[in-house]
Amino acid sequence: MKFNTIIIGGGLSGLTAAIQLQLSGESTAVISAGQSALHFSSGTFGILNSGAVLPEGHPYSKIGPKLQDYIARIKPFFAKAGVSLHGNDSRNMLRLTPTGTFQECRYAMEEVELFDAGNPDIGNKVLIVNVQGFFDFNTAFIAQGLEKAGATCRIESVSLPEFGRVRESPSEMRSVNLARILEGGGTLDEFIASVKALIKDEDTVILPEIFGLRDSSPALKVKESLGVRCIFVGTMPPSVPGIRCQMQLRRYYESLGGIFLMGDEAVGVNIADSTVKAVSTKNLGAHWLMADNFILSTGSFFSKGLASSPEGVTEPLFGVDTSYDKNRPEWYRRDFFESQPYMEFGVATDGGFHAIKDGIPLTNLYAAGSILAGRGPLTLGCGAGVAILTAFAVADSITGGKA
Amino acid sequence: MARSYKENEFDVIIIGGGITGAGTARDCALRGMKVLLIERHDIATGATGRNHGLLHSGARYAVTDRESATECIEENMILRKIASHCVDETDGFFITLPEDDLAYQAKFVESCRAAGIRADIIDPAEAIRLEPSVNHSLIGAVRVPDGSVDPFRLCASNMLDAKLHGAKVLVYHEVTEIIKEQDTVRGVKAVNTLTGEKLEFYAPVTVNACGIWGHAIAQMAGVNIGMFPAKGALLIFAHRVNNIVINRCRKPANADILVPGDTVCVIGTTSTHIPFDQCDDMRVTPEEVDLLMSEGAKLAPSLASTRILRAYAGVRPLVSADNDPSGRNISRGIVCLDHESRDGLKGFITITGGKLMTYRLMAEQATDAVCRKLGNPSACTTAITPLPGSELGGLKELTRKLWSEPTTVQKAVAGRAGSRAGSIPLAESHQQSLVCECEEVSVSEVTNAVEHLDVHNLVDLRRRTRVGMGTCQGELCACRAAGLLAKAHGCTSKAREDLKSFMTERWKGMLPIAWGDTLRESEYTQWVYNHVLGLNNSI
Repeated sequence: MKFNTIIIGGGLSGLTAAIQLQLSGESTAVISAGQSALHFSSGTFGILNSGAVLPEGHPYSKIGPKLQDYIARIKPFFAKAGVSLHGNDSRNMLRLTPTGTFQECRYAMEEVELFDAGNPDIGNKVLIVNVQGFFDFNTAFIAQGLEKAGATCRIESVSLPEFGRVRESPSEMRSVNLARILEGGGTLDEFIASVKALIKDEDTVILPEIFGLRDSSPALKVKESLGVRCIFVGTMPPSVPGIRCQMQLRRYYESLGGIFLMGDEAVGVNIADSTVKAVSTKNLGAHWLMADNFILSTGSFFSKGLASSPEGVTEPLFGVDTSYDKNRPEWYRRDFFESQPYMEFGVATDGGFHAIKDGIPLTNLYAAGSILAGRGPLTLGCGAGVAILTAFAVADSITGGKA
Repeated sequence: MARSYKENEFDVIIIGGGITGAGTARDCALRGMKVLLIERHDIATGATGRNHGLLHSGARYAVTDRESATECIEENMILRKIASHCVDETDGFFITLPEDDLAYQAKFVESCRAAGIRADIIDPAEAIRLEPSVNHSLIGAVRVPDGSVDPFRLCASNMLDAKLHGAKVLVYHEVTEIIKEQDTVRGVKAVNTLTGEKLEFYAPVTVNACGIWGHAIAQMAGVNIGMFPAKGALLIFAHRVNNIVINRCRKPANADILVPGDTVCVIGTTSTHIPFDQCDDMRVTPEEVDLLMSEGAKLAPSLASTRILRAYAGVRPLVSADNDPSGRNISRGIVCLDHESRDGLKGFITITGGKLMTYRLMAEQATDAVCRKLGNPSACTTAITPLPGSELGGLKELTRKLWSEPTTVQKAVAGRAGSRAGSIPLAESHQQSLVCECEEVSVSEVTNAVEHLDVHNLVDLRRRTRVGMGTCQGELCACRAAGLLAKAHGCTSKAREDLKSFMTERWKGMLPIAWGDTLRESEYTQWVYNHVLGLNNSI
């Protein structure tokens, strides 16, 4: 099989690049092993924390002057895919975190509330409602955070007979299973009615992010029906809005004619004259996939795009060059909450995001997203930004700007 | 003997909440004394919680230290009976590898038998059949009655039984001064480390059972014990690679014991003399990790490709003989010092040296010494009295007696709590909801620990329930458990700080071995807690 471009890795970066290429008329395929970082995301996208200084070699520096244009393209791009984002192109807002703190971000999925950085308006009287027996939503932490910010909080929980099934099995009480039960119909109405019955004089209701795996309509329905402001706050992973975003991007990509090889994994590569000719996959066996260009967007360590051993950091598929500290004790900081140097390790590229093998850039292999060296997503707040913006850059580079 | 006591008066004060202190408190309480046990952190925070968890047969010492070997095998047989819910009767192999001297095997077997330790030479092929993970190039194997023991559970059970027999246990209370009148110890001054409250306690006898920290307690009392802190580093692997303990059949050396325990296995140890000021914050070095990995892979080659969960280190409380201040003849035997005959200081006893394995015997010796001072004629019964949790026998009989068709959650809690699992409400499905999926710890078990087992924070909870000890090292369960603790203690800001320090503590053990899957897990956990949950942001 021959494509214009094959994208290895179906997370935020891979899907963004694939959609861009498909929109420009290319034929593409995405090889996706399964879960991506989106499954553990917050329902918001960060570009860069305010006051953060970009370190030398950060992927943004390779995008250059086009960076602002690309940022302005994010909202329209996601809107096309059915993911409605809100937020301001030029300044950061705040998200209310599951531990009751505020975290900077640039954009949020439509039902996720954004607050002004200077003076977050969280309401005066807040009712926090959980599903009874759901431990992945820490109401006490949220209440404490909001009370520090000046609100009065009351905590309640809702129990519906329909939740009985997930309660039967000890490991089933998780966000995704609750979201499936609340996907629509009578149960959602019942839930809304139960929450409404709990509201006394509160002006704001806080609920866990357990609404809308397929699309945002259940979340929006809850918002419209309560009669007071409704703020959704994230749960412990997995993230319902994150999974929804992934599913919507994938559906849009497939609607454009893209081939999404779900649950498959690239296992072999054929490289000649510094050019990737083909890749093979676990499921397709001897049927090699050929393409003019390849994008490596397999993510960082957690997604197995990068591998590590006591000897060093490697990129396991193509064996392309990586950038990391050779002295292992320097990979870490003792403080768990400090930025860890290993998070900046990754695949080395030239200025045009070409991966490099044995010191020589490969002509048609691009790297995008969190596999790239030099990012620093935790301290810089650039995780989603690097994923999306480098995907735009690579797609532009492949199509000569046609996307 | 109708003595009337004031609230802060006891027959005996025991300083130290490790296995030695817990065992001594139990023994003293069983012999009718009014007991106070005082511990500055939580139970089992020192060497008790930082070893292999090996139920020594004594074979390791058979050639070099007959006395220790005999003590070990006697205690081994006792613990199988009185602490059955803490013991896994795995047996052990002493293997000879091609680079080892096979001639040592004969001497080893002879010494074992002389010490009363069953030692059967088995064919290498048979050894491989019984324990497929063992290095297949072995040229000899001896089977001995080693096993594994859960030190946290053992310590908690001793503590619990002491309390059931009237002992008062104060964790998070640090001794700040030994109260002396002339040549007699009268009691201790202490501070509640959580509230800052200052307290005084009095008793005719005080027992120093503080392991390596006993050095400082003795100094506080004005006597000197020549202690030598010897650090031992260990690695925990994420799978139970072996079901039988694997040792090297040679003179005891570094990293030559691999012990299966619950869902994991542990390789160790190293031995390094360290300064006293390092005892409170030991960190495993890259060199120690490399040594443990390379030696461990010689016992079971699959360790080389098995994920390491954590690295940790403990300090052996070694004591040099009184006439050997240089420490050249360091013994690993039990040291029970009556400071009256040794130093002219009345009412003060130090129990130290020894091993986890011989804690009961150490407690017996210390309690005998206390009894001599108090004129208490009671005999020791700890060798025949089962610990709470072990009254109903082994796990299989136990679960059958408690539930007709036990669920996996019920089986897991029975493994941890023994017969006391019956008192943990698990009949309703919501009580079985899982807080920790790796270790199958239910909400009911967590609540029980918080209500009855002196749990002040997440690390305490982990010691009692294994929350956060599994493959994920607390990435999801910690936050869930923090919510439950916040509710139980009614203090959210404490729970928040506690969750932060729990994550930092987990990271401490992962950092030395953070590559491969452990690095993947760390990256994920750091992403979730630092970014998604925003835990470290100010509120």
